[in-house]
Amino acid sequence: MSGQPTIDTNEPVFFHPDLFVVPTNGEAPYLLGYKCEDCGKVWFPKLEICPECWTDLKQITLSRSGKLYSYSIIHIGQRGIKSPYAVGYVDFPEEVRIYAQLAIPHEKLKLGMDVEVIEGVVRLDKNSNPVMLSYMFKAVE
Amino acid sequence: MREVYVVGVGMTPFGKFPDRPYYDLGKEAVVKAVKDANVDKREIQAGYVGNVKAGMAPGQKVFKTLGMTGMQIVNVENACSSGQTALNLAYSAIASGQYDMVMAVGCENLTGGRTSGEALAPDQDDIEGILGNVMPAIYGMRAKKYMEQYGATPEDLALVAVKNHKHSSLNPYAQFRNLVTIEEVLASRMVAEPFTLLQCCPIADGAAAAVVCSKEKMLQLGAKGVKIDASILVSGLFKNQPSDLTVPEITQRASRLAYEMAGMGPVDINMVECHDAFTIAEFLYYETLGFCEKGEAASFIRSGAAELGGKHVFSVRGGLLCMGHPLGATGVAQTVEAVWQLRGQAGDRQIPGAKTAMIHITGGGVSGMDNAACGVHIFTV
Ligand SMILES: [Zn+2]
Repeated sequence: MSGQPTIDTNEPVFFHPDLFVVPTNGEAPYLLGYKCEDCGKVWFPKLEICPECWTDLKQITLSRSGKLYSYSIIHIGQRGIKSPYAVGYVDFPEEVRIYAQLAIPHEKLKLGMDVEVIEGVVRLDKNSNPVMLSYMFKAVE
Repeated sequence: MREVYVVGVGMTPFGKFPDRPYYDLGKEAVVKAVKDANVDKREIQAGYVGNVKAGMAPGQKVFKTLGMTGMQIVNVENACSSGQTALNLAYSAIASGQYDMVMAVGCENLTGGRTSGEALAPDQDDIEGILGNVMPAIYGMRAKKYMEQYGATPEDLALVAVKNHKHSSLNPYAQFRNLVTIEEVLASRMVAEPFTLLQCCPIADGAAAAVVCSKEKMLQLGAKGVKIDASILVSGLFKNQPSDLTVPEITQRASRLAYEMAGMGPVDINMVECHDAFTIAEFLYYETLGFCEKGEAASFIRSGAAELGGKHVFSVRGGLLCMGHPLGATGVAQTVEAVWQLRGQAGDRQIPGAKTAMIHITGGGVSGMDNAACGVHIFTV
């Protein structure tokens, strides 16, 4: 075809390969962190060098689950996302805090709950078709 | 460093003026401030102009048809803190001896061209923005955590809106001048939990200006100015690591520097204009600016301390919640209020015998940063 897949197909865009991995063999998806070998700090999203030491960072696999630090349910939100939608900050054992949309029934949301990374639709077009896939968090069963 | 004084201020009312471009609003504020200072406009040696949305060289468009051209004009974009950034530059220009008399201006038109019904979002090249984050949710997450940690209730938070509406009902420059009840605040439309519409600052257009000069210049003019005792501007720290979002680090750092520079503490401050973009923000700033202990904000506001007649009056002009927040203008408008209060010219909302005022602004959504920039100034008479 044209070699410009995002323009003339209806496939949703995958966001973003150096942050998030969805294995093709059906294994569970995971996020990538970037660890400084000098100070040990983990950064997310991707950086080339540690902001503190300027040392090159090493890509690591983050734990699949973390704890929900806090959340909000957005009723007047951005265009392209169906309101209301829940968002939150999740603290990972690698000492990194990551924001994402929450694929969790709103009445089940609770600070401190265990959540895990999944792939989900984060943006829709005006006909409600998915246009962007990325990481989201769901409750750990 | 030389002592620095504000000798003239002026502003437009804040509200929705889609047909008045930012430079038109800015011109009105400049003319009012220069007349208030009772100086010849040709004596103004430089202009620092806060604006976020207008693009290239907004300050030139404010000054060009006022016959104030040729001087140094610096355009300042620093998110919500643009106005206080302009003031900080004006302060530095005088304190350092570079100039003897300059102006800080803030002007913004947000309603011309923006669709309502959408929340202000971080930039779309910002990862949280792409994934749907909006300003009310960023503060909403702080509020949820605060409420869980300290047992604060939605009614407690609503008190901030009730108080600020009470204040703004006395301010002819405010966008909202109606009184509201706790029930009305909580029954308004949900924006981002736990905030209903009346707990979020509205968008607004407006402009404000201040004439700033050296002590020598002030004495020469025979004017009685308001002294700038502290002028602090800092940027946020970039941090991906978990931290306590109920302690806004950037505000803590900026306010400590300001207290140190002024040689004062919270006990000395009569009034505070803070960045009350959402109700929770005032709670966090009562605590972070040192007016009460952690977790005590609800009892602080319930004691009446933050209300007109109390010991440390917060948001006496109505705050961002009732004035609205024309990004580039807010910091200079806070300055105008501080100057009016300290000169005893604040009309029905005058704080009797006010001698010291603090203004605080912070904001700008950048993923991984508490806020982009924070300004704190302390004024005395
Ligand atoms: Zn490092």
